[in-house]
Amino acid sequence: MNAILILVKKDFSILVQDKVSLLLTFIVPFVLIYVFGLVFHVNSSDPGPAGIPLAVVNQSDNPAAASLVDALRAEKAFKVLTKFVARDKTTRPLEEPDLRPLMRADDFRFAVVIPADVVSTRTVGAHLKIYSNPRNDIEAQMVTGVLQKTLFGSVPELLGQSLQAQARAYVGDERLDRFNASVAASVARTFGGDEGAIRARIAGGDLGFGQLARRGAAPGAGDLLSRIVNIESVQVVGKDVKSPAATMLVGGWAVQFLLFAVTASATGLFWEKQGGLFQRMLAGPVSRGDILWSKFLYGVCLGLIQLVVLFLAGEALYGIEIGGHVGLLVVVCTFAAAACTSFGMLIASLSPTAEAARGIATFVILLMCAVGGAWFPVSFMPQFIQNFSRLTLVYWSMEGFSQVLWSHSTFAELLPTLGCLALITAAVMAVSVWRFRVGRIFD
Amino acid sequence: MTGGPPLVSANAVVKRFGPIKALDGVSLDIAPGEFFGLLGPNGAGKSTFMSLVAGIRSLDSGTLTVDGAGVAAGSASARLALGLVPQSIALYFELSAERNLRIFGELYGLRGARLRERIDFVLDAVGIADRRKGLVKTFSGGMQRRLNLAAALLHEPRLLLCDEPTVGIDPQSRNAIFELLQGLNRAGLTVIYSTHYMEEATRLCSRVGIIDHGRILALGTLDELLARLPFEEEIRFPSSTQTQALSRELGASGDVATVDSVHRFRPRAGYSMSSFYRLTEEHGLAPRLFTSQRPTLEALFLQLTGRTLRE
Repeated sequence: MNAILILVKKDFSILVQDKVSLLLTFIVPFVLIYVFGLVFHVNSSDPGPAGIPLAVVNQSDNPAAASLVDALRAEKAFKVLTKFVARDKTTRPLEEPDLRPLMRADDFRFAVVIPADVVSTRTVGAHLKIYSNPRNDIEAQMVTGVLQKTLFGSVPELLGQSLQAQARAYVGDERLDRFNASVAASVARTFGGDEGAIRARIAGGDLGFGQLARRGAAPGAGDLLSRIVNIESVQVVGKDVKSPAATMLVGGWAVQFLLFAVTASATGLFWEKQGGLFQRMLAGPVSRGDILWSKFLYGVCLGLIQLVVLFLAGEALYGIEIGGHVGLLVVVCTFAAAACTSFGMLIASLSPTAEAARGIATFVILLMCAVGGAWFPVSFMPQFIQNFSRLTLVYWSMEGFSQVLWSHSTFAELLPTLGCLALITAAVMAVSVWRFRVGRIFD
Repeated sequence: MTGGPPLVSANAVVKRFGPIKALDGVSLDIAPGEFFGLLGPNGAGKSTFMSLVAGIRSLDSGTLTVDGAGVAAGSASARLALGLVPQSIALYFELSAERNLRIFGELYGLRGARLRERIDFVLDAVGIADRRKGLVKTFSGGMQRRLNLAAALLHEPRLLLCDEPTVGIDPQSRNAIFELLQGLNRAGLTVIYSTHYMEEATRLCSRVGIIDHGRILALGTLDELLARLPFEEEIRFPSSTQTQALSRELGASGDVATVDSVHRFRPRAGYSMSSFYRLTEEHGLAPRLFTSQRPTLEALFLQLTGRTLRE
């Protein structure tokens, strides 16, 4: 027993000395728990995502339509956009024809159009249009749910107006007013309240459906409303994509494992150093630059092959269509592989040992994948994390894959994303090369 | 040292690692065709000197030339004339012996038939031609060391730097390496051989530099170095209570050092050995306790530093 205790104490002593193990044991899980907590709004008074851009085009002059826009503005899940900002920074109200190009450019992925005939005199109910770019399945489902909840909360007023308008057209003003007065008197007698006020509310379209929807107590209330409200869905991007979920799944995990693979390759520098291989090479006609850039090139090639193989596997297993986009996919994979490799080189250049490099890499890779959108939509995260995610190569790699396989973007449309990946690669490699120069990897 | 301009020339070379002076004013010349030994304990500065000659590191002050050119410039042609056998086994263990040699040969610009010819030659020279397809990780330590040497010989260097190339290997492999190096040296190859084994330096080197704490303490042929010792033989006897008094008395007639519980008595010049035998009789000590040895480089190192090479 004494020996067991001594050996246990020994293991704790080693653990305390091993910063990498401490990092992996405590810091990594803590940070990931924190990020997941933010994403899933654990212990938050306001559960659910916030600030998802939602474009709203209001073509109606009906006051209820304006209150619907207000209701959407009040919903924290959305950041409502109603203005179109031109290149010269001038603004005007968004119009329906603006939506498709802006959604293709990923300025926003959801839009609601309230048409001029939101309430028709010909049919009972309301008519709305929802435009979407459901490039992320989870995000699209969540947004649709919140949109329905908000719309159904406002639609009953429109429904009442619709019924009043049709009745007015059918029976005439005088007979409708008499009908409203008799209903108001009956309601006041039965439930109490001011008869005049009740009559005014009925004439304005408030038939009490709103309370039905808001309370949500009545079974089938949502179903009833969904039949009354005619929502026309328009999918702007990705209509022809057979496996949208798989497209995102493969992209996210491919980047994650690419990062692990190229980081392992870069940390191989330490083994070559320890083995004296650098001494042998540097004594010959090989420069430090040759060694570093050969590692970089190897990483890019390895990454490119790994990504292409994983996407081909995705095609075979889940029907991801890469057939018509091989060229652009290879371009994005090359840029993504270069960015990932530069990250591996940076980790190797900053770390004193291979063990430290592995620990730091595990931490940073998991963090980048979490906040970069490889695991769940970036839009689910708080705004400050969304801002941070745009600094990660995971975000831009995922963006590139999505543009090619989901949006079927052209090369010109891909250029900004490729530029961001190239910029990340250049900046990270510059730091890495400088660190390798001043560091001791070649000593 | 043979005549003609030196192949390697170091003049007041200083190399620092932070506050530590790894080399402190090292000056020496090595002629073409020499088998030069750098003898010193671990941490003496041998590997640092090797890395400077190889152009892997830059020196802080002084000058160091190989074949007349400054090594700091590190020209490609100078590097092609040089082969390095690193202290560690600098090979890719997951690859075969032949694949390793192919990689290093190609880095030196060897291609095609010439590369195959050189691979065949060096594998044969180090005696592992029959294991050419074997993975290095499956080799014994001795075979790995021999392949480590072979990789440095592929491109037929004029100068071979061997940084403790026989650490931890069996006597058979050590002898094979010695014989190969001696043969290559006879054929004209200049060798700089660093070691902390006195026996290796004695057996192989035509000239030896003794180095400690980054300084060259002595430099010359074996005979020149041993002639610096003020005694012609060293008498060793065990350190015990029995021999304590004798050791004290001998101190008046020469140096007495104790290493690993063994007294080493080096008499001053002119000391008569008959005085020594008389003393042992007076102390009642049996003659079998005493051994006499010719002076060695280790004795010289001890004389110069007060420490053994292994300390």
